[in-house]
Amino acid sequence: MDWFYIQGILMLAGINLIAVLGLSLLTGFTGLFSFGHAGFMAIGAYLGALMTVSPTTSPAGLGLPFAVGVIAGGAGAGIVSYFIGRITLNLKGDYFCIATLGFGEAIRLILNNVQLFGGSRGWPGVPYKSTLPAIIIVDILAVIFLANLVRSRHGRNMIAVREEELAAQIAGVNVFKYKMIALVVSAVYAGVAGVFFGHYMTFIQPKMFSMTKSTELTIIVIFGGLGSISGSVLGALLLTALPEILRAFEIWRLVFYGAAVILIMISRPKGLMGGMELTPAGIRKARNERKARVLALKESRNGRNGEAGIG
Amino acid sequence: MIQFLQQLINGLSIGSVYALMAVGYSLVYSIMSFSNFAHGGVIMLGAYFGFFALTLLKLPFILAFMLACAGTTLLAILVERIAYKPLRERNAPFLYFIISAMGASILLENIVIATIGPTFRTYPAVIPRTPIQLGALAVGRLDLIMFFISAVCLTGLILFIEKTKMGKAIQAAAYNIKACALMGVNTDRIILIVFGLGGFLAGVAGVFFGMKYTVYPQIGNITTKSFIAAVFGGLGSLPGAVLGSVLLGTLETLVAGYLSSQFRDLIAFVILIGVLVFRPSGIMGKTTVDKA
Amino acid sequence: MADILEISRLTKRFGGLAAVNDVSFSVPEGGILGLIGPNGAGKTTIFNLITGVYSLTEGDVRFKGKSLNGLPPFKIADMGITRTFQNIRLFKNLTVFENVLTACHLGASYSILDSVLRLPKFRKEEKALVEKAEKLLSIMGLTERRDLVANNLPYGMQRRLEIVRALALDPKLLLLDEPAAGMNPDETEQLMRLIVRIRDEFKLSVLVIEHHMDLIMGICERIVVLNFGIKLAEGCAADIAKDPKVIEAYLGVTEEV
Repeated sequence: MDWFYIQGILMLAGINLIAVLGLSLLTGFTGLFSFGHAGFMAIGAYLGALMTVSPTTSPAGLGLPFAVGVIAGGAGAGIVSYFIGRITLNLKGDYFCIATLGFGEAIRLILNNVQLFGGSRGWPGVPYKSTLPAIIIVDILAVIFLANLVRSRHGRNMIAVREEELAAQIAGVNVFKYKMIALVVSAVYAGVAGVFFGHYMTFIQPKMFSMTKSTELTIIVIFGGLGSISGSVLGALLLTALPEILRAFEIWRLVFYGAAVILIMISRPKGLMGGMELTPAGIRKARNERKARVLALKESRNGRNGEAGIG
Repeated sequence: MIQFLQQLINGLSIGSVYALMAVGYSLVYSIMSFSNFAHGGVIMLGAYFGFFALTLLKLPFILAFMLACAGTTLLAILVERIAYKPLRERNAPFLYFIISAMGASILLENIVIATIGPTFRTYPAVIPRTPIQLGALAVGRLDLIMFFISAVCLTGLILFIEKTKMGKAIQAAAYNIKACALMGVNTDRIILIVFGLGGFLAGVAGVFFGMKYTVYPQIGNITTKSFIAAVFGGLGSLPGAVLGSVLLGTLETLVAGYLSSQFRDLIAFVILIGVLVFRPSGIMGKTTVDKA
Repeated sequence: MADILEISRLTKRFGGLAAVNDVSFSVPEGGILGLIGPNGAGKTTIFNLITGVYSLTEGDVRFKGKSLNGLPPFKIADMGITRTFQNIRLFKNLTVFENVLTACHLGASYSILDSVLRLPKFRKEEKALVEKAEKLLSIMGLTERRDLVANNLPYGMQRRLEIVRALALDPKLLLLDEPAAGMNPDETEQLMRLIVRIRDEFKLSVLVIEHHMDLIMGICERIVVLNFGIKLAEGCAADIAKDPKVIEAYLGVTEEV
């Protein structure tokens, strides 16, 4: 267990985390479940590679700096998600899920057929640019961006959409607009994650971005707890690191994933953090909520129910 | 013209396999209003059950077939009991069901990869591969049998639902399961039967798929297409699922034959987008308004 | 005094069925109008038509003279109409404070960029929103329970919270859908006083659907009676109570033996 090995795990976890944070905004805070976000990672990875691969290695490459690749990957994924959103965000829950599944697979299939990018055989020769410091910096920025967004009226509106869409509409929330914002932001995050992924593996292949990958991302968000950023961070770390450490049991990794998902759903769907944040403010809030509930329980037992709470 | 008819026949045979998959899926959707993504895994295991019944147990074809279907029926019910029933009892939001279904789907696919292994298996040639000649058209014997048995199963299912008392109960439950329970109907048993039926159909679909193509753990992914077919035909409508599947199978084959096989898989997604944009309720689906 | 809401020849058809059929009435500014009728008469449908949840088939709804036809619900809320729901639709997993704070959002205009970078505009406006939410909670007596998760509130308080949340939007017209459902006479009386107090303190108009006759007779200055989507009668409480059509709709007709 040397530093190089640990570093690899941290980097993969950090890359996954970027995508998970974005998906957390869409699923955890806005309540929309997507089974196609690996598609946005794929768009990011391929656009990023398009920018950075040297023209001498591949006719499609432009040999531009890594930063350009990151911006292109993120922006590209965001733009595609906007058009997908226009078609799908008006649909009811189940239909939206199937639509994301469909789009995720469609992106993979299309990439399989683009011979310029290597088709299904993949695209080697992507320069190695994803260093641990770079990933950590992006992760920190991603968390801050997300946390600040969530703790604002915009974030609260998204949470309202998750809680009670109809009441949110009546409360003046432009539900479609906020769903779209959540989708685009989550796609940009996934795109950036894809760029970093490609520049870590130095080789990208459409089958790396399959439905299984999309589902893994959603599972991590649920495992960490919907509506909890710290839950997503912990979830990404644990669920990326553990299987790597248990590398000997590689083929059983997904078996455990599947079983774990079912178990979480039937026993503790609120996930690891249960919607709570592992920050000073979050802990204070959870404590206040508990105090208030205990107080309310005591009051109702002492027969203060005559004051039913109206006048 | 001949080629067109030939492609049509090929398309119908694929469509009938999709139909078996899609109907099981639509059946569950109509009662429980959620997408049973684990259905694909059950179909895949049906293919494996049939394969091992034929090769390991060396059973005659009919017995192997029935064993496979019995296996998938039990499996589907097992999945329901473990992954969905606890959620039902807790009145969990329907999205939790989808997640649990996804988990079951991943679990099934990867248990097979981890234990039996990912190598492709081929069914022994039970049905001779020589096609039957109808003039200039060639119809595969297997395709004919598949089409026939699918038609029998689907007709049987529709008759069951329309004519029997249990079938009527299922219709009622599809309309409003809570009201059914209040009327004293044993909704637990209805759900059991519905999943059992879906599982049975999955077994038939799985064995046929394995016979026509090959057996591998990722067969479940083909069911994405049958989901799309069910959506195309109208989620919750059984005739719609059949219609959507047949149309999808035919369109796919025509596109592959006349354009390029590269585009065959994409057709399903083009149809999906079309449906979602223009008519989300599908060909035979109903539009429901959310009561405020 | 002008009418704040004018409903003219409002009709809503679902397929062949007219849930609301050629209904016309107005809510005077600052008034409390009651909307009553047997279940299924179309009362909640009218609320849904006013708030833009349903699109109308024929007729018009005018708010302060402006037509609401075709506007999405969030725009209508922005114009100053809010409502409560028959089956309470609070943000169940959020606290009392968060429910109200969320609804205050129209009082701020900072952008996403402002939020993410925590710019001064965000800080100033967010502080104002928090103050407004706290003030509303204190006026309505919910400060003690501000940290309680909405789902854990006793039933009567959930109803009160829903009204407070509606008030956070600074409405000019408040639509209440069976606010007294499930309440005993004591609670109903408290609710009646609350509604009148809100109307006076917040200077708004109220349109209330109710089955509790004591509430309707007690606070509504005018009453509109609906049955099978058609307006049966309109008038003050005394007139309505005597109207034979209303009596027939509610109690049936005595058969001559």
